[in-house]
Amino acid sequence: MKIKVKIKRCDPMASGRCEAYIQGYDIKAKKGMTVLDALIWIKDRLDGTLAFRRSCRSAICGSCAMMINGNPKLACKTQILKEFEKRQEILIAPLGNFSIIKDLVVDLTPLWKKINKIEPWLNPVGEPPETGWIISREEAQRIDNESACIMCGVCNGGCNSQEGDPDFIGPSACAKSYRFVGDVRDGSKFKRLEKISREHGIWNCMRCLMCNQYCPKGVYPMTAIEKLRAEAIGEGIVDNFGVRHVDAMVESVRRVGRLDEAMYTFKSLGFLRAVGMLPLGIRLELHGKMPHPVIFPEIDGIEELRELMKTVEEKE
Amino acid sequence: MKFAYYPGCASLAITKEYNATTLLIAEMLGIELVEMVRANCCGAALFNDQNRELNLTMSARIFAQAEEMGCDILTLCNTCLMVMSRAKKELEDNPEMLKAINDNLAKAGLKYNGDVKINHLLWVIIRDIGLDRIKKLVTRPLKGLNIGAYYGCHILRPSDAVVFDNPDAPNSLDNLISALGGTPVEYAGKTRCCGFQLDLVSPEIAHRMVGKRILDCKESGGECMVTPCPLCHINLDSYQGYANKLLGVKLDMPIFNLSQLIGFAFGLSVSDMEFSKHLVSPESLLKTKDLV
Ligand code: FES
Repeated sequence: MKIKVKIKRCDPMASGRCEAYIQGYDIKAKKGMTVLDALIWIKDRLDGTLAFRRSCRSAICGSCAMMINGNPKLACKTQILKEFEKRQEILIAPLGNFSIIKDLVVDLTPLWKKINKIEPWLNPVGEPPETGWIISREEAQRIDNESACIMCGVCNGGCNSQEGDPDFIGPSACAKSYRFVGDVRDGSKFKRLEKISREHGIWNCMRCLMCNQYCPKGVYPMTAIEKLRAEAIGEGIVDNFGVRHVDAMVESVRRVGRLDEAMYTFKSLGFLRAVGMLPLGIRLELHGKMPHPVIFPEIDGIEELRELMKTVEEKE
Repeated sequence: MKFAYYPGCASLAITKEYNATTLLIAEMLGIELVEMVRANCCGAALFNDQNRELNLTMSARIFAQAEEMGCDILTLCNTCLMVMSRAKKELEDNPEMLKAINDNLAKAGLKYNGDVKINHLLWVIIRDIGLDRIKKLVTRPLKGLNIGAYYGCHILRPSDAVVFDNPDAPNSLDNLISALGGTPVEYAGKTRCCGFQLDLVSPEIAHRMVGKRILDCKESGGECMVTPCPLCHINLDSYQGYANKLLGVKLDMPIFNLSQLIGFAFGLSVSDMEFSKHLVSPESLLKTKDLV
């Protein structure tokens, strides 16, 4: 099938600026052909100036992450015709959230820096036993997903939090962090959790689930972030707005069975920040939107719900 | 067509117009909604940060109640949909966990058998009602109105649990806009995040997301937006003022919820649609288009 492959290109190295333009290439796409196959064919036959990264061609090396029809994917793991069918077009652009070196090649330095920050190595609990570490199946399975990361940058490239805050630690570094936090041989769990709970850390993930959706290796970074948060709370690292937010929610459900927005806002933000929101509160009130701040009706069966929550929480 | 109605906490409080307008269009469409008055909050994805078992138990409690009612669940909220769908899948994949959760529930005299289905109103409208029937009910076609479909995150992702649209290229909401006589606008941010979950953690980042999404839609020719999610609605409408300030722009973008857009096209009045509850009023836009 003949299709036009549109590629977003730019060459800041030559021009000093990034003036992106779209270039179309006509190719004959065959069933089973990947986006990477198409790029290699284009570079080979049509345009040797097209720049992109690749090495293994089999979703192992992590070189070929890019935006394919707007979503972060590995070019070598994505079939071009299937992608074309979804939108009746195919647009390939450089990976999001990174600056462009040329065409589809982006500067991944921020990714490496973030991963480096979490100390991506084992800090052993103590001297290894003479027999070497014996790890049980369950212990290994705890960090099975996170260990599969190939550091391709797909998750960071799609991450909404990173779009809003370039300093956000990012899903890949979080997954890597859990890979060590969950490793029974690692002795620096508290230090790791304390560091990653600070500003631009785990509590700044906005739970958009892009990373879980698009990770090509089943790492599920957002699930790792949830586990890091639970571990951090378990270690008593609770002095931040993220934990206050969670506490306010759980308390609200315990009190009335659902979300009492006014109370929840107040408790999450703390007094001073909540006062800053008063003008908005007044506008909401004027528009008849403001839920009553104090008396909020309980759900039917609130006692039963409280008992149930207690049962689960006491198990811990 | 009967459902266990789980509007979600937001639509019972701050976005109560979403609940009110849904009840109106449900009647016109012959959808019977039986409200789950005993149901608890799903936790808006926050329970997991504290205790995964608590998260599953809270969702399973809702499922067990729906099973007792003998209906599938219908919700208005993307995040409720995602939280419950994800919990359902986790319980499906892990029978041991299901047993543990049922042990918890037993103390409250409840049991979850694993049979419940979780729907979003949008899905029911597209799949069960069908756009042909929708078209027949339109008496005030949204002619000349360029509308950005804002899907948000949790009605699409994670697609192994939340299964309906193609998460890469969703079209249900766009098709609905066309069926109502409006013109859907293509723009890049329609499946990206409004930042709601950071509203109370890092407000500035959340406001920036609001600004970016609306600006993107506006630059692509959107005159208003519609969202199936009350949480997206809170952000895009109520927090638009913050985004204006932060980005130094004047967005002035009216945001409809799903039921308002449908009800309005069905000929219901402006006051029935409770547009006055929005901080950014759509009325002048609707006037310039001769729709009111
Ligand atoms: S080329 Fe190695 S992952 Fe795609």
